[in-house]
Amino acid sequence: MRFIARFAQELSDRFEVIDLYDQKKIVTPVDKNDPILPTLTRTYPAAIWFERKIKDDFGIRFEKSFDTRPLVHHERFPNVHPMRKDFKEKIDFAPFRPYPYERIEGEGIFEVGVGPIHAGIIEPGHFHFSQEGEAILHLEVRHFYKYRGIEKMMEGLEPLQGFGIVQKISGNESIAYQIAYLSLLAQAAGVELDENVRRFNALLLELERLAHHLTDLGFIPNDAGFAPALAFCSMLAEDTRRLLKKICGHRFGFGAVRGEALEIDKSAVRDYLEQTREKLLFFQEWITQIPSLWDRLDNTGILPRHKAIKYSTVGIVAKASGVALDRRQDGWYEQFGFAPLSASKGDVAARFTLRLEEALQSCELISNLLDFSKTDTPLESFADGEYLSFTESSLGEVMLYLRIQEGKIDRFFARDPSFVNWQALHLMMPGNIIADFPLINKSCDLSYAGNDL
Amino acid sequence: MIRFWQKRFKEGLKTQNLWADKEMAAIKKELKSQIAKTFAGSLAIRMVDSGSCNACEAECNALSNPYYDLERLGIHFVASPRHADILLVSGVVTFNMYHHLLDAYKQLPNPKWVVTLGECALPASFAIKGPVERILSVAHHIPGCPPEPDDIIRGLLQFIRKIQ
Repeated sequence: MRFIARFAQELSDRFEVIDLYDQKKIVTPVDKNDPILPTLTRTYPAAIWFERKIKDDFGIRFEKSFDTRPLVHHERFPNVHPMRKDFKEKIDFAPFRPYPYERIEGEGIFEVGVGPIHAGIIEPGHFHFSQEGEAILHLEVRHFYKYRGIEKMMEGLEPLQGFGIVQKISGNESIAYQIAYLSLLAQAAGVELDENVRRFNALLLELERLAHHLTDLGFIPNDAGFAPALAFCSMLAEDTRRLLKKICGHRFGFGAVRGEALEIDKSAVRDYLEQTREKLLFFQEWITQIPSLWDRLDNTGILPRHKAIKYSTVGIVAKASGVALDRRQDGWYEQFGFAPLSASKGDVAARFTLRLEEALQSCELISNLLDFSKTDTPLESFADGEYLSFTESSLGEVMLYLRIQEGKIDRFFARDPSFVNWQALHLMMPGNIIADFPLINKSCDLSYAGNDL
Repeated sequence: MIRFWQKRFKEGLKTQNLWADKEMAAIKKELKSQIAKTFAGSLAIRMVDSGSCNACEAECNALSNPYYDLERLGIHFVASPRHADILLVSGVVTFNMYHHLLDAYKQLPNPKWVVTLGECALPASFAIKGPVERILSVAHHIPGCPPEPDDIIRGLLQFIRKIQ
């Protein structure tokens, strides 16, 4: 059984902890006066961050957990539980409490701290290495610098107002998040989305995937010192953003998914597809002929299949390690030429190659998705209840949960694919040198904003 | 590799960028000459994300692609704040980034300026200390959500005009 998420919510008389697996959902009531539960971390290591987050957010403790350090609450965060319903105040900085990093001790072992502010145009996050010379012994990933309190922000809003926030959870997955949120609202409104709307949304989602993969296809070789790939692919990515702007009015698709299929310039899309496919095939041939580059990519940052499964990874990270997991495998996408892709080696090269294959597949999907016309599915009243939805973003499976109470949002939870994949990043490190870290990190290309919320 | 150059020679240079767009061409020309005058030909920017959705970062990265290629105007994104003239900040300032942002700002040598990027327009939250202008003195703001590469180029020109 694949573990997907563990999160909590507060009801009037109790807390509830919801454990979500691919085959079932378990809801456990928790006493408000003595909130304590057994841990899942011994079976599912990916539960570690979920439990630490629940502890910070709600003050629920987990018995026999081997990691009880704060996660979202940093050194100066006061001892409050912001996701509780009675929490309304503004917080102020508390005295500095040092964070106990995971330590490896021994003769000659030293630590290297990187971030939160990195040497480039990247989001903030901290990477803590334990080194034995050049070789990485251990990496601890520490995030939540960008913690904006998105979940709390959503509470009390009208369901339709939620779109404005959801689309800004993670800019490079904005369309995926909007589609997932739209699916929640459609469930709550008890309507089936129109086929044209689904196709239009799927088209945007594939364009978003292309923009993201193309950027990575440039950045991965660039991090191995091969800059021409970045120049080449960043142009393709720019073409994609411009096409998005042309068809939905925004380069990242903000506001594009609202249950409507827009009238678009299909010939522009076809031209784009023809050019992009041709350039990608050229790129594929060109890049495979550079042995010094593959020398860096091959056998770097390996994530073995059994660990990819054990750590509940999703997206490219899982697929490159032989776990063909894709939320598009739903019986609808197949008619447009979708087939799940995977690789087996689990190294940087596998993740790179897979991105290239996915990008080519997205081109084909888009050309088959073009058959739709302008229409919309009106969403008006929303029934109280609890709703779940999944979407395959360019990073992997996005999971959203929404609880509507008296017509307003009572609880919103988002599990970005990065939230589980970040926890598996350290598994790829041992045996590699620190100079390969950026390469490995980029080959996974995880979101900080979506992770931190 | 050989095929790449063969193709390149066969097809020649393509005008594939916005220099063809007259308005942008004029803006870039002026920007380049202003940077030459005010910053001795080299304007160094340290970008810090203190709580954006990462679309602003994607747009700043796009500035280096061959369509825009900001480096040819003398604008560089630098790794260390100690090499920078401008601290370019995107997003809101989160509770957890507050002190790190101030640290980065302190490391900039004088004279220094803060330029902000984008309108996040998120509701108030306990985890957000506010927009950047409430925390640092901001010399110029580049609007947009996210500002497109062209907007950033325009914004930088407006900033330089402003400080003269």
